[in-house]
Amino acid sequence: MKKAILVIVAIAIVASVVGCSKAETKTDANVVKFGVFEPLTGANAAGGAEELDGIRLAQELYPTVTVGGKEYKIELAIADNKSDKVEAANAGQRLVDSDKVQVVLGSWGSGLSMAAGPVFKDAQIPAIGLSCTNPLVTKDNPFYFRVCFLDPFQGTVMANYAYKDVGARKAVIIREVSNDYSVGLAKFFADSFKALTGDQGSILAELNYNTNDQDFSAQLTQVKSLKPDVIFAPGNYTESALIIKQARELGIAAPFLGGDTWEIAEFINVGKQAVEGAVMSAFFDNDAPLTPLSKVFVESYQKKYGKLPSGTAVLGFDGYLLAIDAIKRADSVDPLKIRDAVAATKDFAGAAGYVTLDANGDPIKSAVIKEVKGGKFVFKTTVAP
Amino acid sequence: MKIKRNTLLSLAGIALLVGAIAVADATLGRFSVRILNLSAIYIVLALSLNLLNGFTGLFSLGHAGFMAVGAYVSALLTMSPAQKDMNFFLEPIVPFLRDLQLPFPLALLAAGACAGLVAVVIGVPALRLRDDYLAIATLGFAEIIRVLITNAQSLTNGAQGLKAITKYSTTWVVWSVAALSVAFMLALVRSSYGRTMKAVRDDEVAAEAMGVNVFKVKSTSFVISSFMAGVGGALLGHMITTIDPKMFTLTLTFNILLIVVLGGNGSITGSVIGAIVVTVLMEALRFLDMPMNFLFIKTDGLPGLRMVIFSILLMIVVLYRQRGLMGNKEFNWDDFLGIFRRKGASGAGGRS
Repeated sequence: MKKAILVIVAIAIVASVVGCSKAETKTDANVVKFGVFEPLTGANAAGGAEELDGIRLAQELYPTVTVGGKEYKIELAIADNKSDKVEAANAGQRLVDSDKVQVVLGSWGSGLSMAAGPVFKDAQIPAIGLSCTNPLVTKDNPFYFRVCFLDPFQGTVMANYAYKDVGARKAVIIREVSNDYSVGLAKFFADSFKALTGDQGSILAELNYNTNDQDFSAQLTQVKSLKPDVIFAPGNYTESALIIKQARELGIAAPFLGGDTWEIAEFINVGKQAVEGAVMSAFFDNDAPLTPLSKVFVESYQKKYGKLPSGTAVLGFDGYLLAIDAIKRADSVDPLKIRDAVAATKDFAGAAGYVTLDANGDPIKSAVIKEVKGGKFVFKTTVAP
Repeated sequence: MKIKRNTLLSLAGIALLVGAIAVADATLGRFSVRILNLSAIYIVLALSLNLLNGFTGLFSLGHAGFMAVGAYVSALLTMSPAQKDMNFFLEPIVPFLRDLQLPFPLALLAAGACAGLVAVVIGVPALRLRDDYLAIATLGFAEIIRVLITNAQSLTNGAQGLKAITKYSTTWVVWSVAALSVAFMLALVRSSYGRTMKAVRDDEVAAEAMGVNVFKVKSTSFVISSFMAGVGGALLGHMITTIDPKMFTLTLTFNILLIVVLGGNGSITGSVIGAIVVTVLMEALRFLDMPMNFLFIKTDGLPGLRMVIFSILLMIVVLYRQRGLMGNKEFNWDDFLGIFRRKGASGAGGRS
């Protein structure tokens, strides 16, 4: 009996492996394959799913690309990197070797992109990062590009906002020390805020917390005694909303500024009344279209998913379109030629603004500043690079 | 006569294995080679945890911490000053570390040595604890190491992680280290030291009564295990060429623990088989995440389905082989050949 079960299991495994390899060998001459390299399970699954939503929407709207008079169908090869670096490198290699993709899109989480970066570089396949903001992702890797702005730009934008619009001269930074995004943003905010005020002591304190922390009274008591004009607290939305909530309970009235991760419905759901007036940088706004495509994106997104798009979904959409645009400009589906075309991107009109890539493969694009008002994210202003 | 036959068979087996690796390295695609090499690294890691868990009976959950130490030490020692400057864009690296560059073999040894050193510091207080308490204590220490790495911006680049680590973990390097680990473990377990470790595992009080210095045996095992974990972590870092603190969480420890338990607690053969099975199966099952077209069932791709199937397979193994694939037995030629002989006999004589 035991043996029979084991035999059945073994047969099932063999059969499924054989079935799988059969499916892989089926390639079509008129197909371009886009590898989607995202965390669909594990800690970053929510972010990966949002980017995938944006990519799927783009594929629905633009399912083909014409090269040299021939129409190519675009297929998505989706590889889950499990929010894990070791798996990420495996998944990247699989996309390159087994799925034989021409372009890769992703991944949410800079560390995961960095793990697969060398794989794409070795295979000479261009990869377009969507929301990975760590400067190291594209550094020293001529095959990695991205469509989101970086920490240095975002940090500078918020420092400018704090200095000019809030009129702040003294700031406190609260950062999520285990999060590369938060640490990077905090650093560049501090640098430009010091330069703007011309005062090395204008950052009163840099306080740390860890992902999944619940209680911030230690940090906030210190903030209260320092009496800053503004508090810059980039980081994960749950923790950030809790920080603001607890700060208001302690009677801290200074305005809170943050980064693009705040722009998500959960931020308001957790923070409720307390997060009113919180200001953040964002990739784009539904009400103030940056390009003609913004409107198309927002409308079709709402129709398909029945909710307002987040900042990361639009980047998935843009990454897909940038890949198509590059294929058209290269007039070829050869990965090397696509890479050159992506590298030469200039004034590409995506849904989240115009993208021009610099020598490093990083975009020069505008940011949007938003505020929470009446339980909604309200557009304040656009900041050009 | 019989011993000689087995030795010959072993030599032939080793030659066959070396040949198979050479052929695989030369002919298989990069993806398969990567999985193959990952298995070798997991063999090293599983053996190191098995030394603690299986042979000395110390339930430790701090492995990820020692791997982190090894990975960071080796990465920082092999990077060129230019690479370090590129990585440390937030805060410059401390000067003495910036200009320090060692060849890979030395860095690998240093990685193991540093992990061993940390084990000495941690082991002295922690090894006075037993069972679950030791597990909790080591778990806590691993977390502390991770938090320290996260916060030491100018030493480790904190949460930004390190990238562009040179890829030294080639097929021959990782498999040589794996082979060395297996050989070392075999020698250790058969030595008088190995026997005292097993004695401590089976009954601490009895072992002490027999004159075994229990604390010394435990700490030696802990330090050796950490040394191997450090080396394994370093190899892993040099394989995926980038590391960050988030990589070394409890999940990583659990992955290795899974291999050890699946293979068989206290079996070297089991750890080797477990490492290969788990690594290969995780990737082989990946097609389950893809969109499927099964007669009438059509799925749009269910991410995570392979984890479900993987868990079911694990449960089947645990239900039918409670002590892991190998129990606490080791591979030997007599038993191996016995399988065929028994099959042949039952085939001829039928079921009795």
